[in-house]
Amino acid sequence: MKRVFQHPEGPVTGKKYWRSLEEYSDSAEFKQWLDREFPDNASEFTDGQSRRSFLKLMGASMALAGIGSLAGCRRPEAYVVPLVKTPEWMVPGRALLYASAMPRRRGAQPLIVTTFDGRPVKIEGNNLYPQSNGGSSTFAQASILDLYDPDRSKTLIVEGVAKSNSEIKTILESLRNQLVASQGKDVLVLLDEANSPTQARLVRELQKQFPQINIAVYEPMMLAEQLNNAPKAIPRFEKADVILSLDCDFLNFDEGGLQSIKSFTDKRRVKNPGDPMNRLYVVENRYTNTGAVADHRLRLAASQVINFAATLAQKLGVAVPAVNGKPVPLLDLAANSFLNRWLTGLAKDLQANSGKAMIVAGAHQPALVHQIVAAINASVTAAPQAAVASAFTGLNIVQAAELIRSGKISTLIIAGGNPVYNAPNDLDWTNLQKKVASIGKVYRLGFHNDESSEKGLANIQLPMSHFLETWGDTLSEDGTLLSIQPMILPLFGGISTTQLLGALAGFAITDGPELVSETFKQVAGGDITSAWKKFVHDGFYSGARIAAPVAAGNVATVTPVPVQIDTVPLSPQSLELVIMADYKVDDGRYSNNGWMQELPDPITKNTWGNAALISQKTANDLNLKSVLEKGIYQSDVIRIKANGKSLEAPILIVPGHADNSISLSVGYGRVASDAHGLRIASNLGANAYALRSSTNPYITTGVTVEKTGKRFDLAITQEHGSMEGRALVREGTVEDFVAVPDFAKHQGMDAHIPENISIHKNPYFENGQHSSIRPPVHQWGMAIDLNTCIGCNTCTIACQSENNIPIVGKEQVQNGREMHWLRIDRYFSSKRDASKIPLGSNLDEVIELDDTEMIFQPMACVHCENAPCETVCPVNATVHSEEGLNVMAYNRCIGTRYCANNCPYKVRRFNFFDYNKRPLDSLYLGPLADRPREDIEMMKLRSNPNVTVRMRGVMEKCTYCVQRIETAKIDQKVKAAASDNIKVPDQTITTACQQACPADAIVFGDISDPNSRVSEWKASGRDYSVLSYLNTKPRTSYLARLRNPNLMKEGAGFIMPDIDDVGKMSGGVGHHGGDHSAAHGHAPEGEHAHPTTPAVQPAGHRTPVQGGGNH
Amino acid sequence: MANFFPKWTNKLPVQILIGVVLIATFNVLGIWYWFTPKFTRVGYQPEQPIPFSHAIHVKQLGMDCRYCHSFVEVSGHSNIPTTQTCMNCHSHVQKDNPKLAVLRESHEKGIPIKWVKVHQLPDYVYFNHSVHVNRGVSCVSCHGQVNEMDVVEHVKTFSMDFCLECHKNPEHAVRKNEDVFNLDWKPGREQRQESLGKNLVHDWKVNPPINCAGCHR
Repeated sequence: MKRVFQHPEGPVTGKKYWRSLEEYSDSAEFKQWLDREFPDNASEFTDGQSRRSFLKLMGASMALAGIGSLAGCRRPEAYVVPLVKTPEWMVPGRALLYASAMPRRRGAQPLIVTTFDGRPVKIEGNNLYPQSNGGSSTFAQASILDLYDPDRSKTLIVEGVAKSNSEIKTILESLRNQLVASQGKDVLVLLDEANSPTQARLVRELQKQFPQINIAVYEPMMLAEQLNNAPKAIPRFEKADVILSLDCDFLNFDEGGLQSIKSFTDKRRVKNPGDPMNRLYVVENRYTNTGAVADHRLRLAASQVINFAATLAQKLGVAVPAVNGKPVPLLDLAANSFLNRWLTGLAKDLQANSGKAMIVAGAHQPALVHQIVAAINASVTAAPQAAVASAFTGLNIVQAAELIRSGKISTLIIAGGNPVYNAPNDLDWTNLQKKVASIGKVYRLGFHNDESSEKGLANIQLPMSHFLETWGDTLSEDGTLLSIQPMILPLFGGISTTQLLGALAGFAITDGPELVSETFKQVAGGDITSAWKKFVHDGFYSGARIAAPVAAGNVATVTPVPVQIDTVPLSPQSLELVIMADYKVDDGRYSNNGWMQELPDPITKNTWGNAALISQKTANDLNLKSVLEKGIYQSDVIRIKANGKSLEAPILIVPGHADNSISLSVGYGRVASDAHGLRIASNLGANAYALRSSTNPYITTGVTVEKTGKRFDLAITQEHGSMEGRALVREGTVEDFVAVPDFAKHQGMDAHIPENISIHKNPYFENGQHSSIRPPVHQWGMAIDLNTCIGCNTCTIACQSENNIPIVGKEQVQNGREMHWLRIDRYFSSKRDASKIPLGSNLDEVIELDDTEMIFQPMACVHCENAPCETVCPVNATVHSEEGLNVMAYNRCIGTRYCANNCPYKVRRFNFFDYNKRPLDSLYLGPLADRPREDIEMMKLRSNPNVTVRMRGVMEKCTYCVQRIETAKIDQKVKAAASDNIKVPDQTITTACQQACPADAIVFGDISDPNSRVSEWKASGRDYSVLSYLNTKPRTSYLARLRNPNLMKEGAGFIMPDIDDVGKMSGGVGHHGGDHSAAHGHAPEGEHAHPTTPAVQPAGHRTPVQGGGNH
Repeated sequence: MANFFPKWTNKLPVQILIGVVLIATFNVLGIWYWFTPKFTRVGYQPEQPIPFSHAIHVKQLGMDCRYCHSFVEVSGHSNIPTTQTCMNCHSHVQKDNPKLAVLRESHEKGIPIKWVKVHQLPDYVYFNHSVHVNRGVSCVSCHGQVNEMDVVEHVKTFSMDFCLECHKNPEHAVRKNEDVFNLDWKPGREQRQESLGKNLVHDWKVNPPINCAGCHR
């Protein structure tokens, strides 16, 4: 008989952690989904095909396989083809690393690119760069896939006819001749924001040669800054102890960046109890990475942030400027005591920390918010910040559109951007471009044949090279000059924007760095031979910055978005719409990137599309629903009307969202008429640009919504691999940590069961000691700090890139078959009040769900010492190594999936199809459908040669990057040669996830070495293991999250109204207040034994908890 | 009543039985021999585009392995020499030899030479040369007396068993690093392989991996 292990339920008091609304409500549908390792759709053949047609297909594939395998009996002749001449530095079989940088609109990211035999295969952050810890971003990690995108623009297209790329030169020459003749007066050049000094120099050169030429710059997600030409503020988080973010997501890779993530999280590395930690207040309308990390978070409609800022200013005694003679309305504090207490506490905290406090405002907030923030920062908080001006400025998109409309332009050169898709809708850009294309010529330099290169809109489409294929330079966030060097010649013979500008200015197009080194000469001065070498080698110039930081306090305005002090209150009939950059596809530039499409959004866990995010209350008010059926979210589709336009989009209810507010990200809804263009991006999600005007680019009020009656299937991964509560994520407050330094070890079940005594002894490593028989040198382990994890997903993409993990497509994600080895579990937490919200209650009544906290937990194979997967494998395909790795031998695996079934962490992934060999839309055809040859060749070029590409029917999971471990061990042994110095020094090996983490939240190393970094982390009181009561002895442990609430008091009570919610310990501490037997009613006998370790006494409200229990 | 089974069917069961036994035997023997590395690998001696003789270059002329396989000590992959490497000598020596026409053509036109791969491990095996030759494992252990071969031949099975044999008992194969590229080296009288190997394994902490991840990633 099957033995059902009854996992203990979570405690009744304390907090409840949940990943989705369905889990919260504990619906029957959810339970059924949960009961199985692989959900219905994943493990059963429930799709359109009947069993009969399936057998037919299988028969056909068997026949084909038979023919194929006959030829496979004999050894095929293989060849070794050495080069004719040995290139410099190249050692066949070894990686070569080069420094480069990825241009980004708000500052480039310094990178190190790994190449094998001249092929770039992996991107990592540049750890030589002083402002970075070697971390990188999701975008940088995924950009390698763009390089090998088979849908790229490959050939010159003239009036819809493909031509040879050798004609590009001729075309640019004639364009230059035309410029010389007209002096540029009818020419408009539209550029991207690349922060490139060389491009800036070439623009100046063009302006000198052709004084009448028009140069414009357009970045859709920097529209506000561009309309205003404002310098960019750089908040100095490393100097701030108290931070208030007003709708500013400074922990993402757009508004924020590597530097702000590093300097912010560095202040949260609490090693010992009592160590200082910063405090973050966030006011925002939707959950962001920043909001998830906050100590106090207030959900507030984005259009009301201005009122919040004014109210705060008034509390702090700072004058607020009037708008058109009218004062900014204040929030009605008398009517809302919660808000009153929140604001009072915040104001007092800012005042108390003057000089160490800082307020930051989001780039899409109106100018007045920034003015108020600057005023408070100058007088009260004395916030330390610096600012950087952009490399050059040109006309903005509105002025550019005006020029075209006036009929002065007959030649339009679009370099890089995609304005037909993403220009503000009130400019009617499509028709403007069509007009120029019909009377003159439109040249488009584009990475894809997309919306802006359609026939009739562009006369000439030029293929654009990737940043890994070209020379260039760019400025980082703080204005440091970074070098971009090519790893490979352009795969399809494209040119870069720099080369295009150079050609227009009369310089020859070459493969060399002439244009860039000329700029460098002007920067560095004098003889640059050695300085240039160092610049290219290190990837950055350590000399003077190009754009000197503007003095502090001088950054009053960032955005010119006209101030709207709306008097119409928000209601379900008049909502606000917030348009933001997407966490995955950014402004749309990554929408043809399969990794980014399949990456779950950090907050919603939505893949392959976007959705209109709303709160539970708003959904109830508007009678909107999303239901879970067979594990697939079916959401109501709404029609959003804003700025005079309308758009249909599915809804997605997100706890913690502000009421009467809709958030919709851009970058989806792409269309390309070219059948081979944008195969990944096409027809996914809703195009939010359709609702965006240049007057209201980010926040629009007075938006109405109507139900269309349609339903849409979303692909959300939030329930996949759920582990049903059980104190998986643990958190406490800073004061709890002081009171009980090992609080994390005694939460959930660990609070009251005795320590496990295993009869099985690890033959290699027991009680911190190596065995004496055949001592291995290392014992690998990992620690992940939940306190610094910001949930940004960079590790997931880094893992995908390093380990050749395929994408599976939307349909298969819906079936629960995604392949990510490393997932980031996102938990909402809320105080569970059992009387108020009984289990299984109707979600529509559960409005309290909107007030939640969030916590992230990266979860991959934890490499259990007593691994449950190993004991059930019938073919020994998954076994233990003497160094503590739970290893997979793919060739032994026969795909029984027992291991995944037995894995309590649900981290094993099964290849249900040949994802690499088959097109994602015809996986079910098996060998009858082959991916185009070119796609497979591109995939081969991109793949890491040190990791096996897995085929159908094979189980896989995190390996702790065993290829990196083995490489490091081999290199050490080579170094040791005839000696016994074979121990790999600490921190030589970094796993892909650890290396990529911009917050430095992951550490990997030898746990048998007490001095290694991982041992130091594991020695922390915050260290705990997930599901340790199962005695799996995982090698990956976690450091519990800490929160740092504001504990100021007024009289006897705390000022902050949400103090009960913030970081209140889950499970253990404060656990035993409830009815003990009721809490563990389902626990099997024996689990209830008394603890040998002192459990923690329940703590009353905010009294420091004591050690030592009364069990 | 009609005779359902004619007389010849009496022999049918025996015939079927013999047939089945024969087919089974054939299958077993076939798989036993024809599908094992012993048949598919050992003795494989393909014809190369240039009849390069290791015997002449190494045995007769005394060249070191590392003159051509120059990265064997630093890389997992032991490289086949580039045309340039060959031409270092053959632009002076034997420069009109018709056997080297392919080499000269490669040099002039920049076309790489397609050498036929003799020793080939499956894709899922990650073998590393550098760690073996730096830790006392000689070329001869896996490739045989290449220095005496006119045409390179596959002499060892390269099955997993072959690898593990040595990984479990490294003392049978390790020698001092200075003797690694000396393919004619034999353990002396005083220093038997057993004792030498045991000493080296102890002194160098030789611990070849015997878990899956050592070779399969």
